[in-house]
Amino acid sequence: MNQRPSLLIASDEWRYWKRSKLGVSVVIAALGLVIAAVVSTSFRISAEHTERTSFQQTATETFLSQPARHPHRMVHYGHYVLRSPAPLALVDPGVDAFSGTIMFLEGHRQNSAVFSPRYSAAPAGPFATLTPAFAYQVLVPLLLIVIGFSAVAREREAKTASMLMTSSVTAFQLWCGKTLALIAIALVSLMPLAFATLYSIVTGESVLIGLLFMLGYALYLICWCFLISGFSSATRRSANALAYLLAVWVVLAIIVPRFAATIADVVVPVSGKIVNDLALLEDVRQVGDGHNANDPAFARLRDELLEQYNVNDIAELPINFRGVVASNSEAKLTSILTEYAEKRMAEEAGQVKIMHALGALSPTLAARSFSMVTANTDLRQYHKFLRDAEALRFDFVQKLNGLHIKELSYANDVNRGASEEASQQARVSASNWRVLDNFAWQAGSVSERLQIGLPHAFLLLAWCVVTGFLSSSISQRSLRNHDG
Amino acid sequence: MANLLPELLRELRFALSERTVVYVLVATVALSSLALIAGLANVAQQSARLHTLLPSIENEKEQALAAQSDVGSAAYYVFHLTYDLPSDLAFVALGMRDELPWLHRVRMLALEGQIYENDPGNPELSSLGDLDFAYLVSIILPLLLIGLLYDLDARERRDARYELLYATSARGGRVLHIRGLARTLLLLGAILIPLITIALVVGRWHTGLIAVVLAVIIHAMFWLIVSRLIAVRVYEASTAAAVLLGAWLLMTVLIPVMGKYLTERAIDVPHGGNILFLQRETVNDAWDLPKIDTMDAFASRHPEWKDVTIEKPFEWRWYYAFQQVGDQEAEPLSVALEDGMRERARWMSRIALLSPPLLVEQWLTKLAKTDTRQHMAYMRCVRDFHSSLREFHYPMMFGRQEFNEINMSKLPQFKPCGI
Amino acid sequence: MSKPALTADSLCVDRGGQRVLENVSFNVAAGEVFALLGGNGAGKSTTLLTFLGFVQPASGLVKLNGVNVFDDVGAVHQQAAYLPESANLYPHLSAIENLDYFLSLARVSCSRAEIDQALDVVNLQATARGKRLGSYSKGMRQKVAIALAILRKTPVLLLDEPTSGLDPVAIDEFNSILIELAANGTTVLMVTHDVYGACHVANRVGLLQQGEMVGIFEAPEGGQISADEVHRTFAEHHRI
Repeated sequence: MNQRPSLLIASDEWRYWKRSKLGVSVVIAALGLVIAAVVSTSFRISAEHTERTSFQQTATETFLSQPARHPHRMVHYGHYVLRSPAPLALVDPGVDAFSGTIMFLEGHRQNSAVFSPRYSAAPAGPFATLTPAFAYQVLVPLLLIVIGFSAVAREREAKTASMLMTSSVTAFQLWCGKTLALIAIALVSLMPLAFATLYSIVTGESVLIGLLFMLGYALYLICWCFLISGFSSATRRSANALAYLLAVWVVLAIIVPRFAATIADVVVPVSGKIVNDLALLEDVRQVGDGHNANDPAFARLRDELLEQYNVNDIAELPINFRGVVASNSEAKLTSILTEYAEKRMAEEAGQVKIMHALGALSPTLAARSFSMVTANTDLRQYHKFLRDAEALRFDFVQKLNGLHIKELSYANDVNRGASEEASQQARVSASNWRVLDNFAWQAGSVSERLQIGLPHAFLLLAWCVVTGFLSSSISQRSLRNHDG
Repeated sequence: MANLLPELLRELRFALSERTVVYVLVATVALSSLALIAGLANVAQQSARLHTLLPSIENEKEQALAAQSDVGSAAYYVFHLTYDLPSDLAFVALGMRDELPWLHRVRMLALEGQIYENDPGNPELSSLGDLDFAYLVSIILPLLLIGLLYDLDARERRDARYELLYATSARGGRVLHIRGLARTLLLLGAILIPLITIALVVGRWHTGLIAVVLAVIIHAMFWLIVSRLIAVRVYEASTAAAVLLGAWLLMTVLIPVMGKYLTERAIDVPHGGNILFLQRETVNDAWDLPKIDTMDAFASRHPEWKDVTIEKPFEWRWYYAFQQVGDQEAEPLSVALEDGMRERARWMSRIALLSPPLLVEQWLTKLAKTDTRQHMAYMRCVRDFHSSLREFHYPMMFGRQEFNEINMSKLPQFKPCGI
Repeated sequence: MSKPALTADSLCVDRGGQRVLENVSFNVAAGEVFALLGGNGAGKSTTLLTFLGFVQPASGLVKLNGVNVFDDVGAVHQQAAYLPESANLYPHLSAIENLDYFLSLARVSCSRAEIDQALDVVNLQATARGKRLGSYSKGMRQKVAIALAILRKTPVLLLDEPTSGLDPVAIDEFNSILIELAANGTTVLMVTHDVYGACHVANRVGLLQQGEMVGIFEAPEGGQISADEVHRTFAEHHRI
């Protein structure tokens, strides 16, 4: 088909916008908004990044610089880990502001991540964080509506549509041209996002993920362009087209996403951490108190060891029985703690799964899920932080327990409270604290992330195809019926 | 004035004769009911969580207490539940309760290490937020009203009816004000009738609801006035809509964002991590410090125990003394954090004077006791309870009272504080 | 002749930076039918809108019953019913509902019988009266608007192209209604394209040409204004 008429119509539409005060001011407003969002979020996230990284460094250095001590003291001394934002967080911080940033790791306990960035933030209502993600998902479609609502309806009002149609321009070409003009504006509005994505690629994001990210946002905005040109051609009055489009926007961008969150919250209740803590106390009691080697729960362990080393008394063992008990009970305790933590994470993941499915109700919700998943700032990534932190905790606690077993004799250990000198004897040297592993944020492999991100991109593509098909067929039908 | 009522009735009838208005009203009733039911379900979940906890924590407390032979272990192993019950109006505005802790399990160790522990909701859901009544009123109500009011004048002009209407009406063009008022009242009805009905049906009637209703009415009136001011002055319906949406954007997004940014720039708060860190370091260092240092620092707050000397390598009272010293050390930071948060909230409530949507959101969360202020009050309540635990245990630890069943039966019980 | 009900005195009006009325003066006596004729853009509708207080004159006066219109626009609207060109009443309401609504706006209370009677006078089919105006033809809508003007029972009627869109039979009917109203003392100022109709019903005809009153024709006692004469004058000035 000859596409020249479409291009002519598109360029004519651009000229119309350039000449109308509304068009120019809306485009300026949109660009200003997204640029402000990109710049302010970049500064905020990189400040957070610097702060958390330096805090992490201090925490690690402080741990390593502890003096010679009883290894179990170090188990209780513990360590801090901080959650670093992902590179693409400067576009979509996702759950960053809503989840704890710092976690204290110690023996026998799983603490929660505390101090979310919102904890001490100024309370400023539901829309107070102007992130690029919010700007592109919610505000840019609104501005596209304000620019484009009259694209076809205006022509029909002025009867120029029928003039065009009688002069060998087909309904499809008219729709195509108008949609094309809108899509071009939408793509221009994506420029700041492209810069931000490029920056995140420079700071460590994979190129492939960055491209997918851009593609997803482009699909999302194109879907809105289809909706706009569809409604604009289906109504005979531009004021009506605007009213319908605004109603659609309110439903898709303002109501459905929150509705989905509320549904997910009500349908899948999540057991609270304190409830879990209490429930697991009962399980833990059966493990025994790892501080008390005489706890009957460890009788079997003792008997096994005595048999293994063929001695009669734990004092004769070549290893420190108290350390063995500590290590053993930590392992059992951790498996119980992990079981409860995993259960809770599975419940939360179940909630998010419902939200992902409800993305079929609103392209905004679909785009949101896509954006957070692809940017690595979603719940999954937060759970990964919790799991990584727990792995680190278990690792260093068990390594310290290993020191307890091998580097500290049972005799010195039980005797440690007798005098100051005995207490000095029951210590291991400070060089041993290097057992602590570094804690660094890891993005996960590109193929794994693509695997998770692609279904969301496909959902957006599906939205695009469906809205595109409906928009073009409805517009052709109504243009032919009333004007042709 | 006397003529207003029949005219209003006429305009109400007229509004109901329009299909679009009826659709919007039906959708609003559904939305309002949905938001309220979701709010109730959410609050019910919170209450259920609390009510399953309360008996089991009591049980746990008794078990833990029975197993202890000295006051130090009793204080170490007995956990207390502190909580902030959702208020009767919490279903109206769920507020910050999914983000800020309202439930703690504390014991007599250093409080700074425990009080920031959080049992938050799913962060991905929190980042979206709930579709609660407060959101409906603060964010969606202006949009619905704009939708109902933006073309009142432009439509009459477009259909060449404006002059006829003006010349026929005894009130001239002011009839459109009454028309706008009628539509606003209908929308208010669609929002408020579900509120009052549901409150009565589930027995949540509360005098605070009157203030909620008032807040909604005032917010709607604000947008009615703005819409009228614009609709009268702007010729084209679409321009009026664009200008009104611009006003909405300014009030719900730009002013809060700017206000938040400026407030946070102006009022610095210490990083929470520093509080944890300082408290933890102090407590840990104490193990290696001369015990007299710890006891002196402790005695600065508790002069009545200043002559106590610690002789054994480990004594509980020394252990709890350095726990308290840990809190004392972190206190300047934690007070600064608390003050900063309070100050930020105060600033935001001033900035909200520029943004009615923000103002009404703050108003509703304040009435529902789900705002930062309530959180601060709850934290204060936990701190008070924790110090009452200390006041209770110290006499036994320092030998002024005996550790026995009768004395332990007076163990403080947490009671939620009002504001 | 009795005291003038409507007076335009040296009326000059600017719209959009252009002079659209230049020094127009005329009187309409109580109970008189005065028709303003003229081509497109002659300033006929503007004259009407000035009497309604919608358009401010640059200079000169418009008076209703001797009182400057701009002293109390509300009072003008109480005393003068206005019928716009192609009146669009509310398309989602029926004829009865529209009349109910607009009469209530004007604070005129009419019984259902009076409304029906007025609709009889304008000859709107009884079957159509309960149907939504959206389904009406242009002429039927115009009839409802005329009924509204009649029902308001104001001493003055300001009519803008009242017969446009009406079929010839309806035009005749409308003209006889006007004559009857005038006979009962109603003052009518109407703007029209229809020279013959105007000459048929009007006591006097004013001819506006590019904002200037180029002639006022008066009907002889018991007779009609000569349409040919009006035509001739119209054509002369048109050439200039």
